[in-house]
Amino acid sequence: MVEKVKRLPRVFDYFVEKDQFAGGNTFCAGCPAELTLRTIPKVMGKDIVMLSCPCCAAPVMHGQNLGAWHKLAYYACVMTGVASSASGISRYYRKIGRDVTVVCFTGDGDASDVGFQPLSGAAERNEHIVYICYDNEGYMNTGNQRSSSTPIYAATSTTPVGKNQKGKPTVAKYLPLIMALHPVSYVATATLSHMEDYAKKLLKAKEKSKQGFAYIHVFAPCVIGFRINSDAAIQVCRMAVRTNYFPLWEMEDGVFRFTQTVGDPRPVQEYLSLCGKFSHLKEPEIAEVQKMVDERYSMLKALVEATAQKETASKT
Amino acid sequence: MRAGISRGENIKMAMKKLTYPYESCWSNADELLLYLETGTWRTSRPKVDKEKCNYCGLCALYCPPQCMIDKGDHFEPNLEFCKGCGICARECPRKAITMVREE
Amino acid sequence: MVKQMRKHETRVITGNACAAYAVRLCRPDVVALYPITPQSEVVEQLTRFKADGLLDAEMIEVEGENSAMNAVTAACVAGGRVFTATASYGLAFMYDAMMQTAGFRAPVVMVNVNREIPGIHAVSAGQQDLISVRDIGWLQIIVEDDQEIIDAIIQAYRLAEDYEIQLPVMINYDGYYLSFSAEAVKIPMIEDVDEYLSILKKQPQRLKLEPGKSMGAGSHGLLQTYTELRYKHMAAMERAKAKFDAIDKEYGDFFGRYYGGQIEEYRTDDAEIILVTSGSATGTAKTVVDAVRENGQKVGLVKIRMYRPFPRERLTKVLQDRKAIGVLDRSVGFGWNCGPMYQEIRALTPEIGKVPLMSFIDGLANMDITIPNIERMIRDIQAAAEGKPYQETTWVSLEE
Repeated sequence: MVEKVKRLPRVFDYFVEKDQFAGGNTFCAGCPAELTLRTIPKVMGKDIVMLSCPCCAAPVMHGQNLGAWHKLAYYACVMTGVASSASGISRYYRKIGRDVTVVCFTGDGDASDVGFQPLSGAAERNEHIVYICYDNEGYMNTGNQRSSSTPIYAATSTTPVGKNQKGKPTVAKYLPLIMALHPVSYVATATLSHMEDYAKKLLKAKEKSKQGFAYIHVFAPCVIGFRINSDAAIQVCRMAVRTNYFPLWEMEDGVFRFTQTVGDPRPVQEYLSLCGKFSHLKEPEIAEVQKMVDERYSMLKALVEATAQKETASKT
Repeated sequence: MRAGISRGENIKMAMKKLTYPYESCWSNADELLLYLETGTWRTSRPKVDKEKCNYCGLCALYCPPQCMIDKGDHFEPNLEFCKGCGICARECPRKAITMVREE
Repeated sequence: MVKQMRKHETRVITGNACAAYAVRLCRPDVVALYPITPQSEVVEQLTRFKADGLLDAEMIEVEGENSAMNAVTAACVAGGRVFTATASYGLAFMYDAMMQTAGFRAPVVMVNVNREIPGIHAVSAGQQDLISVRDIGWLQIIVEDDQEIIDAIIQAYRLAEDYEIQLPVMINYDGYYLSFSAEAVKIPMIEDVDEYLSILKKQPQRLKLEPGKSMGAGSHGLLQTYTELRYKHMAAMERAKAKFDAIDKEYGDFFGRYYGGQIEEYRTDDAEIILVTSGSATGTAKTVVDAVRENGQKVGLVKIRMYRPFPRERLTKVLQDRKAIGVLDRSVGFGWNCGPMYQEIRALTPEIGKVPLMSFIDGLANMDITIPNIERMIRDIQAAAEGKPYQETTWVSLEE
């Protein structure tokens, strides 16, 4: 008989509030964005004000007539207005002297494309808000269309694989680093396979949003869009981290650091082979993706090393 | 000389047919919290082997709809909402959960 | 009994500065600012007030007008009093956000300094921008001179935030003609404006976002609820008409300046022909009406002050039993080959009867609406009243 360990893992200590969302909702079975979303008020508490826009989360975040799918104070935005609306709300609460955490929750389509201008503007003004982008690498709610966070060679409904095309022809924007180059307080990448890391970052973001802009980019692979089994999302997240396809790092007041060191990164092929949307990739394309992943990682590594002195300097 | 038609009377009469309580589109979860019976979606359900389970909590951690109920020394799925995705079975380090086909 | 006139401060300032001074008096909580000609001075002056400690508001220097409108709408729904200013291109850019504001029934007050819309690039006056947003559910007021800018803005907060209304209000004034020209204006004292607006505090409070409470703004409106909400919105716009008349009278009693409410009827009592105008051209038109009256001609002028909701009842009343009516538009009504205000007044024909109704399009892109132009319009209306053939639409500056 297996000895029962009566104590839950440490990550459960981060959950200060019970789930604020209704039990059954419209997210697909196995959706990591659902896990991303439900965790937010569990870690940050239920007195936050959330904002979202049309995206995969919208059917759950927006109400329907009088009914709602969650118990949080909520403001529904147009896609072009998430970060800007959050700025207005957060400034108003600041004016009346109320300490309220304002949290934006959108997909990558909004954060990197149509809502990028207000996001960039709010970041430049270092608004006191938290912006969480769940990256499922496309416009999934409308049927898997490509966004500027869709990786190169991914098959989507607007970048299909055919005689003349091998999926998306261009490399994705690396949004977390773009945000880190704004004058913000905190930027972090997180994913669902590393829940304690994610919970820590949520808490950090809430704390840093009292001084300025906090951005978290969560890798949340869409079960339908990635063409994986409904039980595979967490595994894909884990492999994304282990191959350095999605490194876990944070930037706090100009200092970059990795929050998960990957000692011996696996070849990116092991991640790509898990996802059906990359099933058409051959050797040359895989090599190209590997090169891109390696270059991105070295850039991050260089930033970590360059800003490490800053951290040491501030500590001495 | 004919004066213009006043719309005030028409508005007063029609107001009676209005049922939604607010002037603009607000939802109120205290009045109405919506949920879907997502338990009807699944084609297989998780079965927890209590002997193998070591209460590590990973199934509850990774369950997207957060429907693993803490039973004190093991976890069990809330079958009203479990969508049957199978993440709990996949992630369980003790392989204590198996996905069993629904009848 | 002679009413004691409230104390005012007299200054010689531009129309834009008037807007800023008026907004300051209303004590907004959040102001979003983005520059665009001919409005930039409004936001510049507001930031100067803030920097000098005369305005205690959160100034958000946004990166675009779309963000400006989203930010103030959200701040308003959270419970604040807000302000922003824009013009043509900016108005176009905030279009989706403005629809959000109206749909959320957020009492946002915005100044739109009229400038021609994108398409034919023009950095010049014209009312096309306010016409382009006729149908999104905002209240629209058009003012004639700098003094009216100040008074209309204070009235706008009173109107927008009224519990029975709860609709966003746009104050329109002509770019260049009013924005950049200075007049001697009377500015009320801030304590008096506080007193004037204090009635809003005694009303029931509107719904707002409350952290910790399970209220969500912007719920999907499905089926019947959507229809009900649209109905309620339209009903509120209907109520705004009488409310605006009442507010203007109240303002007149309080501060000593009254503008006639939804429309101003200038020498219309015994008028045989009427010219309908709006905006700064009204000033010129009144001068011409006075001069023509000296010669015995019975001309009257109607100034449209509240454009949305359309002052249907009051216009119907004043336009009845006339021999001919002319409508001066500083914009075009695409698809109808006439001016847009003419088009809307033409819709009153069943009530006012079939009389010669003429559209005059003039003043586009800073082309001055001159005294000879207005004299010509009145001559044409008079000719139509006498039974002579007339053309429905006259492009005044294109005529010989």
